[in-house]
Amino acid sequence: MTFGPAVGNVGMYVAREMLASVPEDQRATYLSLVEQISELKYQLGVEVARQLPRLLASHDTAHVAAYLDQVKAVAAVGWKSGVEVAKQLPDLYDAPDPALADAYVGIITGATAGPDEDTETVDLAAELDRLEQELREMEPKVQRAQELKSLLAARDRRDEKRRKHAVELASVLPPILARLRPRHRPTFLEQVDRVAAADPESALEAADTLLDLLNGERVSAEGAAEWVARGLDVLDRNKEVGRGYFRLGSKYALEVLDELREGLALKQVARVLKLYATALCGRDVAIRSTQEMYAIEAFGSDHVVLPPDMRFFEDDDANFTAYKVATAHGAGRIEFGTYEFRLDELDGLVMHLSEKYGGSV
Amino acid sequence: MGVQTQRVEDFKLAKEPYYLPLGNEVEMFEAAYSARLPVMLKGPTGCGKTRFVEFMSWRLDRTLITVACHEDLTASDLVGKYTLRGDETVWQDGPLTIAVKTGGIAYLDEIVEARKDTTVVIHPLTDDRRILPLEKKGEILAAPDEFHLVISYNPGYQSVLKDLKHSTKQRFVALDFDYPPPDLEEEILRSEASVDADTASKLVKIAEKVRNLRTHGLEEGVSTRLLVYAGQLIGKGIEPVAACEATICKPITDDLDMQRSIVEIVATQF
Repeated sequence: MTFGPAVGNVGMYVAREMLASVPEDQRATYLSLVEQISELKYQLGVEVARQLPRLLASHDTAHVAAYLDQVKAVAAVGWKSGVEVAKQLPDLYDAPDPALADAYVGIITGATAGPDEDTETVDLAAELDRLEQELREMEPKVQRAQELKSLLAARDRRDEKRRKHAVELASVLPPILARLRPRHRPTFLEQVDRVAAADPESALEAADTLLDLLNGERVSAEGAAEWVARGLDVLDRNKEVGRGYFRLGSKYALEVLDELREGLALKQVARVLKLYATALCGRDVAIRSTQEMYAIEAFGSDHVVLPPDMRFFEDDDANFTAYKVATAHGAGRIEFGTYEFRLDELDGLVMHLSEKYGGSV
Repeated sequence: MGVQTQRVEDFKLAKEPYYLPLGNEVEMFEAAYSARLPVMLKGPTGCGKTRFVEFMSWRLDRTLITVACHEDLTASDLVGKYTLRGDETVWQDGPLTIAVKTGGIAYLDEIVEARKDTTVVIHPLTDDRRILPLEKKGEILAAPDEFHLVISYNPGYQSVLKDLKHSTKQRFVALDFDYPPPDLEEEILRSEASVDADTASKLVKIAEKVRNLRTHGLEEGVSTRLLVYAGQLIGKGIEPVAACEATICKPITDDLDMQRSIVEIVATQF
């Protein structure tokens, strides 16, 4: 015999030795009965499967059916009581007084079921069922409410951060405006306003950068607007990267700046101008940008200071010529000692001129 | 067209070459010649060393045999070697041997380029022995009084690998050459390139400025020879800036920034 689909999942309850103890002609009945009872509860099925071989061997089929009915009746009011009854009942069947088994089942059923429920209990139970149903239905809404709560909390934190940076911006803007050349103020304010509306933290960076760009004449008003617009695009995609852009901390920010730069950049022609100046005056001349003025004392005398960009003319050739003229002027001063003039030499010079031209000089 | 064999007489200059003395180099050379002391000319390229030797050979009425030294130059190339001519093996005198035999001036140009074992060949000619051993022939040639040995090199090209051995250097009377002072250089340009005084003055000013870059990335300043070239191109109708770009700027550097700065210097004059 095989355990096919016909016997369902009774294989879970029936050990091979149990099945072997059932007479072969009763095995199909045995498995069918176990299947019926196991539908109620797994533990009940196991216990019935264990007791049935003994009942099948010693009693008739009707008796076995009565056993199953009694077990089911007890299990209907409490499955744990049903398991115990299924275990004890076969012994009571063997007792001399057949009424014992029935009385035992009656007592256990009554004890398990308890007194009949009153109307109030029934109502309460019904109400509880209803509430539980409603709670189950509310579950997705509760989940959504928690999501919204988290979202709003995060926004609150962001708003707090935003307010903090707005306060910081309020503090740093006036000194920056004081350092800004008056003609750049409208452009500066417009662009910082755009950035501040999107992200005050970025506006802090943008204010510093725009101050340098505009004061250093490195971008025009249109260039500044374009630079900010591209930065806002970056900010929209990623806040941190956007902040890096506005502090000129990204390669892209510098590339955009180079693209927007107008005129001829000193760094493009600095070496040519250096060689040109060196050739003209015969001394090793360094070319310095006006942006390096902070270190002017350290440069020594042989340097020519030029603006970082030359944009007097439309085309770069003319701008280069302007650079060249300024360089030649500086080289001339170096060659002929303008910066080496000393006051104590003035007396000798006056005397020399007096001797040369006569009269009082 | 048949190959013409040059005779020794062909190496004697018939016409006086233009040379403008810059100092006492003519007197010094003549004194060394009469004392039979070999002469070493030192100076940057294009400053007039070769022209000076030509001038002196004309002035002393000697043949001038010039050897442009290079790293593949062997002692046999200088002294001579056996060569196959038809069915015969014949001895072919080298330029140094010819100069010794004919009592001419042997001028070894850019001697520092030759291999050191080659330069040793000239040692016996440069001291009081004044002899030239022809080892392959088993002969020794005694140089006549008229023979004179002149070498030249450019100290700017010196390096650990290319320098004259002291044992060679200390056999010569050294004459230093440099670019001429502005007024003399202008005179040279007027004479050699047939340019007017204004153009000559501008070219010299350009040279003066470009030479300031010698320690700033330029290996050598612009030579007088290149200024002459520039003047000659201008004389042929080439626009001055283009002529200077082709002769002064591009030959002396491949550095684009340097080239541009030189062009700008040219543009300040023309």
